[in-house]
This record gives sequence, C-alpha cells and structure tokens, in this order.
Amino acid sequence: MSRTLRWFAVIGVALVVFGPLGLILYQSFLNEPFFSQSARFSLDAYRYILSDSGFHSAFGTSLVVSFGMTLISVPLGSLLAFLLVRTDLPGKKWLEPWILVPIFLSPVVLAFGYVVAVGPVGFFSLWTKALIGRVPWSLYSLFGMVLIAGLTHVPHTFLYVSSALRSLDPSVEEAARVAGAGPWRIAVTVSLPLVLPSILFSAALIFLLGFELFGLPLVLGDPAGLLVLTTYLYKLTNLLGIPSYHLIAVVALSIVALTFPLVYLQRRMLRTAGRFAVIGGKGQAFRPLPLGALRWPAVAVVVLWLAVTVLLPLVGVALRSLVSSWGEGIKLSEVLTLDHFRELSGYPNLVRGIINTFLIGGVGGALSVIFYAVVALAAHRWQSRWVTFLDYLVMVPRALPGLVVGLAFLWVFLFFKPIAPLRTTLFSLWIAYTVVWLAYGLRLISASLFQVKPELEEAARVTGATQGLVFRDVTLPLIRFGLIGSWLLIFMMYVREYSTGVYLLGPGTEVIGSLIVSLWGTGALDLIAALSVVEVALVGIVLFIALRLGVRLDA
Amino acid sequence: MPDLVADNIEKQLGTAQVLCGVSFQLQQREILALLGPSGSGKTTLLRSVAGLERPDAGKIELRGKIVFDADSGFEIPAEQRGLGLVFQSYAIWPHRSVFENVAYGLRLRRARETDIQKRVGEVLERLGLGHLGDRYAHQLSGGQQQRVALARAMVYNPPVLLLDEPLSNLDAKLREDARAWLREIIKQTETSALYVTHDQTEALAIADRILVLDRGRIQQEGPPEQIYAHPASRFAAEFMGSSNRLDGTLAEVVGNRARLTGEGWSLWGELRAEKKAQDAATGLVRVERLRLTDNAGTNHLKMKLRSALYLGERWEYVFYLAGLRIRVWGEERLAEGEYWVSFPETSLWIF
Repeated sequence: MSRTLRWFAVIGVALVVFGPLGLILYQSFLNEPFFSQSARFSLDAYRYILSDSGFHSAFGTSLVVSFGMTLISVPLGSLLAFLLVRTDLPGKKWLEPWILVPIFLSPVVLAFGYVVAVGPVGFFSLWTKALIGRVPWSLYSLFGMVLIAGLTHVPHTFLYVSSALRSLDPSVEEAARVAGAGPWRIAVTVSLPLVLPSILFSAALIFLLGFELFGLPLVLGDPAGLLVLTTYLYKLTNLLGIPSYHLIAVVALSIVALTFPLVYLQRRMLRTAGRFAVIGGKGQAFRPLPLGALRWPAVAVVVLWLAVTVLLPLVGVALRSLVSSWGEGIKLSEVLTLDHFRELSGYPNLVRGIINTFLIGGVGGALSVIFYAVVALAAHRWQSRWVTFLDYLVMVPRALPGLVVGLAFLWVFLFFKPIAPLRTTLFSLWIAYTVVWLAYGLRLISASLFQVKPELEEAARVTGATQGLVFRDVTLPLIRFGLIGSWLLIFMMYVREYSTGVYLLGPGTEVIGSLIVSLWGTGALDLIAALSVVEVALVGIVLFIALRLGVRLDA
Repeated sequence: MPDLVADNIEKQLGTAQVLCGVSFQLQQREILALLGPSGSGKTTLLRSVAGLERPDAGKIELRGKIVFDADSGFEIPAEQRGLGLVFQSYAIWPHRSVFENVAYGLRLRRARETDIQKRVGEVLERLGLGHLGDRYAHQLSGGQQQRVALARAMVYNPPVLLLDEPLSNLDAKLREDARAWLREIIKQTETSALYVTHDQTEALAIADRILVLDRGRIQQEGPPEQIYAHPASRFAAEFMGSSNRLDGTLAEVVGNRARLTGEGWSLWGELRAEKKAQDAATGLVRVERLRLTDNAGTNHLKMKLRSALYLGERWEYVFYLAGLRIRVWGEERLAEGEYWVSFPETSLWIF
C-alpha cells in the first residue's frame, strides 16, 4: 500500500512538472503554434525574440527591478526581524502578525491600491495637492515600481531572517552587551552576521521573485511604458494578432533560464545555512535586548513601513470601491455609494468568479493539501535515491512564474485531446495552482511531519503496524492540526493568486485575481475596486480564523 | 532453545563503526542487560534486534526463526517480528488515550473487542494504571508514562521485551523504586528481556546477566556479581562501581602478583594484564575496599586528609600522597591530619 503511494507520488509529480515544461520546450522549437497543420521545427522564434529590442529592454528592466527590490527589502526585512525577534520593541506582539500580511495580499490588488491612493489622481495625491499645491511624488516611474516591489517583499526576508534569529543562542548577544555594545551595534556586528546565510538566502529568493513579478509591473509600469519580461510575454499575446505561441514559449523559457539557476543556488545555500544552524541554543526564555532611547524611533520605522505597504493601498482600494467617481474638486462625502458592489451581481462572470475563487480556495485548497500530504508522506522516512529525485523535482515549479504555468497548462489541455474538455472546468485551474504552490505546500506539510518524533512511528512498527498503518494511525492524526493550518494558508494563497489564471481564464474558470487582470485592460476601475475588496475580505476572514487557531504564518 | 540469538552483528553509521561483530544469546525468561557508555553501540544493537536498524553484517534469530541474515539479504520488517519495545522517551502517542495506546497492538492482531477490554484492563491494573485508561500522555506523570510504555509493549505477550534506557527519564528517587518494580513485573510475565542502560547500578540490580559493551565490542559477559567482582578488562573495572586509580610502574612481577610503585609509594596487587617489570601500569581499587588502619604494614600508605564530604549514609574522605589522590569511605567525621590507608592486595587490580 505504501509502495503504491510512493510510486504514485513520484510519477504524479514528475508528470505535472515535466508535462507542461516539456510542452513549452517543444513549442519553442516550432515556427507556428503546435496545433497548426503547417508547424515545422525551426529556430525562427528564438531568432525573432533574441533580436527584438523590446525583449532586450524588458530584460534590462527586469534586471533593474530585481536588483532594486532586493536592495530595499533585504536590509529592511533583516532590520524588522531583529527588532521583532530580539529586542523589547514596544507592542511587538501586536505588530508581528501584521508584518506578514503583504504575503497574503494579491500584488495586483496592492498595485491597484497604490494607483488609486497615490497615483496622479489618487486620494492621497489630491489631498496633498490641496494642502501644498503640488504632488511631490510620481508613482509611474521605474523608481516608484522598484520602491513598491521592495517594500512589499520585506516579509519574505523577515520570514527567513526571523526564524534564523529565533534559533540563535541569545548568549552571543548578551556577551556583546556585556562588552558594551548598544542594540544597533549588536544587530550589525553580532546578530545579523551570524544569520548571514539566511539573509543571503532571502536575497536570492527576492532576486528570483523579481523576475516573476507580474501584477505590479502590469499596473504600475504600463502607464510609463515600462515592460518587464512577464508583461512583455503577456503583451506578446496580442502583439501579432495571431496566437504567437512559439514566441511566447521562447520568452517563457528565457524567464525559466534566469530563475532556474537561482533556485538551484538557493538550494545550495540552504544546505550551508543548515550547517550554520548549529549555533542554535535551547529554546529557553531569554530577556530581549533593551532598545533604550531607540525604542520609539524603532516603532516608528515598523509602523511607517506597515502604513505605506499595507494601510495605504488597502485604504485606497476600500475608498475607491465606495465612491461613484473621483477627481480634482470632488468632495469625498458627496460621492459615497455602495453601488459598485450591487453592480457586481449584474455580471454573471464576476459572480461566477467570486464563487469560483471561494471554491478553488476551499475545495481546491483542501484537495491540494491532500495531494501535498501524499507526496510528503511518500518521501517521509523513505531511504531511497528517489527521494532526492523528488526533492529536485518539486523545486522546478519554483522557477516557473504562475503566468507561465497557467499558459503551459492551457497548452497541455489543448494538446492532449482526451483531457481537452477539462480545460473549461475548475480542474484546469486547480492543477495549475497545485503545481505553482507545490514547493510552498510541501514545505508546510514537511514542517508538520518534522514535529513527529521518529519513536512515535517506530513504536507502532514494533507493535506490528505496517508502514501504511503507521501513516494512518500515527503520522496522519498527529499532523492533523498542521494539515488544517496548511489548508488555511493555501486557501489564502489560492484566493490571492491572479497570474496563474490569466491564460486559463474563460467561462467556467473565472477567479477574482485573473478577472482583475483582464478588467485592468478595460479600465473598469469601479468593478476592480469592488472585486478587490471582496478578495481582501475573503483573505482577511481566513487570516483572522488562522490567527485565532494559532496557525503559524511563517511556516 | 534461546529466545534470541544475535550473531556477529556489524553496523556502520556514517563513518563510525558502531558495532564491530557483536554476538550474544538471550535465554528464556532471562533479563540481559546491554551495559555501556554512550557511543558504545548498545542502542544500535537493540534497534537492530527490533528491526529498526539494518545491520551491515550478521544474523539474528528469534525463537529459532531467522529474522535477519545479512548474507542472504533476508529481513523480516519490524512490524512482523512481534517484539515489544519500550522507548527511552516512551513515545506514547499523544493523540490516543492510555487505553488506546495499549490496545493498539491487540487491534492490529485483530483481537476481539471483549478480549481487548479484558487484556488491556488486566495489564493496566497490574501496572497500577487501572484508573488512568481515559487519560492522555500530557495528563500523566513521568513514572506513569513509563508504565504506559511498558504496558503497551507487553500487552500482546511478545516473545522478547526490548527496553531502551526505560528509567533514564525518571527522577533519581523514582528510579530506585522503579528498578525493583520493573524486575518484578518482567519476571512475573515470564518473558525474556533485553535491557539497554548506561547505568551500572541499574544493570546490576535488574539483570540476570550483563553484557558490557565498549566501542562496538563486547568487553565482558556474565552474571552481575562476576562482572562487578571480577572485571576482565580495565574498561570493565573502571566502568563498574566507583574506583580509585593509581598510575605507576611495575617494580617486580611474581606470578600473578605485582608491585606497583609511584612517587613515594609502593603497593602489591593482582596482575590482570600481560605486563612485565618496568612496564607502566594502572592500579584500580574500589573505593569500598579501602580501610583506615592505626598502624603501618604491607600495603598500608600514610596519607594526608585533604577533605571529608558528608554523603548522608557515609563519609567520603579524599587523601593525598604526592601525586596520588585516593577516595575512601568511612563512618565518622575525621580530624585533619595523616592516616594509614590499607589497600587489600586482592582488591588492587593491576592492568
């Protein structure tokens, strides 16, 4: 029984990972879409793309954005991690859950929020103009995009650095204190250097995520004419009037060619980071470092970051959803309305989108967790070369942006005729989501499995239970709570997901995220605002439940 | 027929050779202790018997049936060996009640529900857990958890009971009570037991026979009295009991007697290793063998009292003579000064 399970896991994962990737590779070597009768093997697509100046500039912009956001989010995230984990920062218990909130917000919603909050005619822009006569910032610029990308990725650094700091033996900091170092000096000379592997790891991660950005550059870069690789890929669809799948495939592969080495690098780094973790002390209670006079400036930094990264865009979205129109000279109190939410019900595709979003998060999320659990259990305490293979396999999707995975699955459903009818059902979306979040989901499940001490399973083996029964009677019940937590986290990720569904969007497969992307092209700001509020509310409710249940957001 | 035969077991973990060809037999109704310091390979040996580790070489037989044979690659998985194992950490399943923890093995064996109720009830009653069936692990004390682990391991009458340092997580006081109680329970069930421990007192008290392990090899094997009184090697002598150590040179060797000398002292003892005159050697003498006397004599040394510790049931004195430091037990408080310490010749073992 457990044997079948293990082979099911290995073969299943290999299929869903290599199938789509193989199809992209195949398509990139054709001169026309794969379903065309006259498609031939050719390198034309490569020639076209590699000599296209638009591709070159998109590549350059992507590089700048990746670098820039890494430079912003790594120092800031490390600082926040130190403040919240190691010091007596006032109100840190209350602040901590908020730090991770940007992870659960859709970038496209955040970007839209910035547009309506601090864009040329945003709420805060116009209020500022009324006060001082001009708007002292410009959202639609490379700098604006990099700044927002950097700020919204602070939680990713925070996640890794804070968990490394938690396992750091406090006595190394106490020694520095005794020697006379202040909190700032301790952070810069002791704590952060000791968790350097985690800091570098998060830097590699953010650099990687920079190439996969889609929502932010789509919304913020477009008005300034800035294209990055993903938006360039997205625009290619409409560029030539005919489906230019071969060109899209080449661009998709070029992104993968950039991200794959980064994923591999991260994996190597993780191994060395593990070796560093030896410094970890026992989980004894320790006295946090007193910040002294730096207390309030430190709180100000955290609160300011939260205000700009979470509050500003969300307030923008919320306000925009409640006004009938907005521009210079309009008084807020005169335009308040709930009409936009009523309007939503007039569009069957939007109503379906909301229902589908809930279904894909709730039902799809649960099915994905089951799939991840099967894969994780298959690898659990299995001493075989296949586990290493599986390990490498699940890291492949991390190099694939959601946009590319969604596209690849669209092609899979077009290519393999027997499964073609599934394309217009939520199943196509579910399997693409499951692949996109494979690494994340597996990490959640493995974190729970890691808590199960081997003796608990061995005791059942010795008592006479087969491997399968050990899973059923001991391992699964023990990670039950972890599975529920994983489900809630996956629910939020699926609800906020937007790029994976872009290419799969059609009647029956609408979800809020991809609807917002397609509505953005039509300029229907009222509907986008209302949909965004619905999405944020859905995530907010589940986030609240998760926090009440004590689910760790930083798994 | 012995219940368990392990033949020439070898096991490498990483680069370390944990077991270097260990063989032993466990007779019916015998309690055999595997005694050794940490890293001696005793737990690996126990886990190999259980089927949780796969040795690199050797053969294991349970009641005449081969369960592992490295030569032919034959291995019966842990769950089919039918053994009982008490873990050091107890490994009580936190999601099952005490009753369900214990009943699990019977359910796997498809026992009838009425049988399960009866047998689990009996075992719990016998181990003094009768009223705790509905509790969960976190609601139990350490001693109770230990007994649940034992109940779970023996409820289905395994041919051999394996115990991995079962008392090491208990408080010192509780451990002494549990020692006697554990031996009694195992003897009552008439099963044989393989008992891993690093605590020599525990091994001496509980076992019928002791296997002293060091660095993956058996150093000595025998009943407790023999292990304690006639250690075969310096390791065994030092590991068991509480000993004084005298480093010196052999001045003369006469048959199995030898004279060990050091700076300002000279003592006769039993030679227990292949050594000749002028060789460097080490004398070991148990603390409880030394006596204070009033006068000079052979094998008496005049030593200076450095400190006296009151241990409750006795005093422990520390004497010095040049580089020699000797501990002696006595009945009363001693005034400062010099005293004669007598080293009985047959109790001073020279290795």
